[in-house]
Amino acid sequence: MSNSILEGESAGFRQAQSPAQAQSPASTTAVMSMQQALNLALDEVLAENPRTLVFGEDCGRLGGVFRITDGLQAKHGEQRVFDTPLAESGILGMSVGLAMAGFHPIPEVQFDGFAYPAINQIVCQIARMNYRSRGTLPMPITLRVPSFGGIRAPEHHGESLEALFAHVPGLKVVSPSNPHEAYHLLKYAATRPDPVIFLEPKSRYWQKGEVDAARHDADGGSPTGAKVMRAGRHVTLVAWGAMVARCLQVAGLAAEDGIDVEVLDLRWLKPIDAEALAASVRKTRRAVVVHEAPLTSGLGAEVAQLITQACFDTLKAPVERVTGFDVPYPSGDLEDEYIPNIDRILFGIQRVLEYKRG
Amino acid sequence: MAEISFPLPDLGEGLIEATVLEWLVSPGDQVERNQPLVEVETTKSAVELPSPQAGKVVRTYGGPGDTINVGEPLIVFEVPDNTAGIVGTVPQDEAPKRRVRLSAVLDED
Repeated sequence: MSNSILEGESAGFRQAQSPAQAQSPASTTAVMSMQQALNLALDEVLAENPRTLVFGEDCGRLGGVFRITDGLQAKHGEQRVFDTPLAESGILGMSVGLAMAGFHPIPEVQFDGFAYPAINQIVCQIARMNYRSRGTLPMPITLRVPSFGGIRAPEHHGESLEALFAHVPGLKVVSPSNPHEAYHLLKYAATRPDPVIFLEPKSRYWQKGEVDAARHDADGGSPTGAKVMRAGRHVTLVAWGAMVARCLQVAGLAAEDGIDVEVLDLRWLKPIDAEALAASVRKTRRAVVVHEAPLTSGLGAEVAQLITQACFDTLKAPVERVTGFDVPYPSGDLEDEYIPNIDRILFGIQRVLEYKRG
Repeated sequence: MAEISFPLPDLGEGLIEATVLEWLVSPGDQVERNQPLVEVETTKSAVELPSPQAGKVVRTYGGPGDTINVGEPLIVFEVPDNTAGIVGTVPQDEAPKRRVRLSAVLDED
């Protein structure tokens, strides 16, 4: 990853590697929900690293409003899995101090919209402490944020924060798209010396999928890279989080019309895997980026620029964006009008297919 | 399955208790969020209490004429483990529906 001066990883940070990570277990494939996959990952991280702490509102006794920390307090004790006051600035401020003292905090803000009260701690302290201290105070914090829309929740419960956090030097941002990715990306993030904002697509929490605990990428891909979820020849759909599943549905429908769609799960939103974007679009020569966040200054603009920079000569059409609108996230009844739906994504594909150079 | 207990809420105006007039649901009933559960009477008025959540009624406390203090158990729900405590609604994966058809002449230059 780039920006070495910002990152403890390349600044000499040393961390005990647990034996469990060194040896890959035998076949451990199981079908589970993303909730269960995240719960399993946290359970294993707590068991493997005694300096890991899991905390947040309702994370302890209740097991989290989305059941992600269910049973962890009973298993690992109240000293390591605990409830906090309803104060996000305190949750993240405490994480700074714990990280300085050598702990590996995995705090949760209960919903995306509740991250705003902790922006000062995240941006002004967590993101730059390693830089400020010339690499002597890394911040191995994994901030879990149930994110994005899709569950008919009230205001402040459906925000897309990726562009905000991706803009902050010193932070890494990642979003899993399915249970397998959730398990592996959370385990990977929790063992990093750098702060990682972990955006969990809450509308996908209940969907089940196969988790192969022994192996992240079957093709040997990097855990820090993007991942081709479906290969295709005519157009690349770029997405992350909950939009990956929708793009895979779109790819299935487009195939009925003879259009061969490639779906690229970006996974890491900071840093973005520009090489994977380039490799995909050099092949397909057309790209549509899909996200729930509002259009203006959304991460789609960054993705479009990276593609254009790498593929300007071969692109057959300008990169299209299919996104949420430039409005506050709407109430549940209007959610389906806001989140990119199948038809809007198909229209985006049609626009890049029929584009003619003037 | 998990059980969730719902206590008699603070009905405002400094009231500390209410008297059950009539239960509108029975143990075993599947109720929806905001469905009326029980009619209670306070010193101010008779009110219907809406259900704070969806779930199956396991048991109710107090019969007609009984007084319940604010904060004491009123009703217990049974809910699936993976939805206990959630804000919002669990989305269902539906078969994809489309109206848009793609058309393109794909030159392979």
